[in-house]
Amino acid sequence: MENAALILAEIVSAVLCFILLKYMITPYRVTREARYIGLPLGFAFLGASYLFMGFAYYFEKYLFVEEIKWLQLFTQAYALAFLATTYFFSKSSKTKSIMWNITYAGLVLVAIISYLIVFEPPMLGLPSYKTVDEYFRIFNILCLSYIFIHTLRSHLSKPDSKTLWIPLSYLLLAFGQYSSLIWSLETVFVANVGAHILRIAGLLLFVFVVYQTFFGSKQAFPKEGIWDEEASAQR
Amino acid sequence: MRRLPRRDKLKIYGDLLSILYGEAKAEKVVLTRVQLKTNVPFDRLKVYLTELKELGLVVDEPSLKLTEKGKQYIKEYQTVLDFMKRMGLTYK
Repeated sequence: MENAALILAEIVSAVLCFILLKYMITPYRVTREARYIGLPLGFAFLGASYLFMGFAYYFEKYLFVEEIKWLQLFTQAYALAFLATTYFFSKSSKTKSIMWNITYAGLVLVAIISYLIVFEPPMLGLPSYKTVDEYFRIFNILCLSYIFIHTLRSHLSKPDSKTLWIPLSYLLLAFGQYSSLIWSLETVFVANVGAHILRIAGLLLFVFVVYQTFFGSKQAFPKEGIWDEEASAQR
Repeated sequence: MRRLPRRDKLKIYGDLLSILYGEAKAEKVVLTRVQLKTNVPFDRLKVYLTELKELGLVVDEPSLKLTEKGKQYIKEYQTVLDFMKRMGLTYK
């Protein structure tokens, strides 16, 4: 029963991520700038990591579960690394495009190598899953905190109620990771439940923002031929 | 004097189309005014307008104005910019 609830939570999270993926790709599709590719990649990896965890809960008595759990660990960390990289480079100018390409290529390369390591554990003698899981949770919290600060600063520079939801979403995801860490360290069941609730709440907020933007109130044309505030500031 | 960030073609097209939309109420679109608002040299403005005409986003009969395709373009582009703003991403 407990496992069924956890599997359901993982599947719901994965479905939400894959729904978001369709919209997260639009900045890259429209601008064709590599620095925005981390956004869809991040959500794709995040969705995959939740699917892996769902599989791990479902096949918990099988031998290959350990490998799936390791995959989940790496995949989630890469997802958040991709998202943090996107936010980091979103501020940089186009002249640094070579840096984006090198960073993304590096991340993909490290991802491939680490996946190979997962399937060759006897050779390298990995530490226990639990220990690595705790370090990865800390890494995830750091990535999410960076994104939260970035988006919050962006909101505070031009306060608008529309831009407040995304920092809140990332904050909920960060608290979700923190709850998972507490669960791993202290085995407090409430922390595990809280982690899933916080994560789903965070993802639902993303869906809300996507809905508001793409299906909410229809955009009015700029009244005086002014594209946006940034463009008007230039003139 | 503050140096303005470079705009790519996508953003220039977006600015130009939205300005032309704003100018649609005027009987005749004055190119000098459009040039001042878009902040591009006159010779380049003419090149951009030719490109926009070739893409079917604007027409020049009897005066410069947006086609339905042009209106659709700025609508969609503005939605994406709005999304990026909400996501806390900078586009410059």
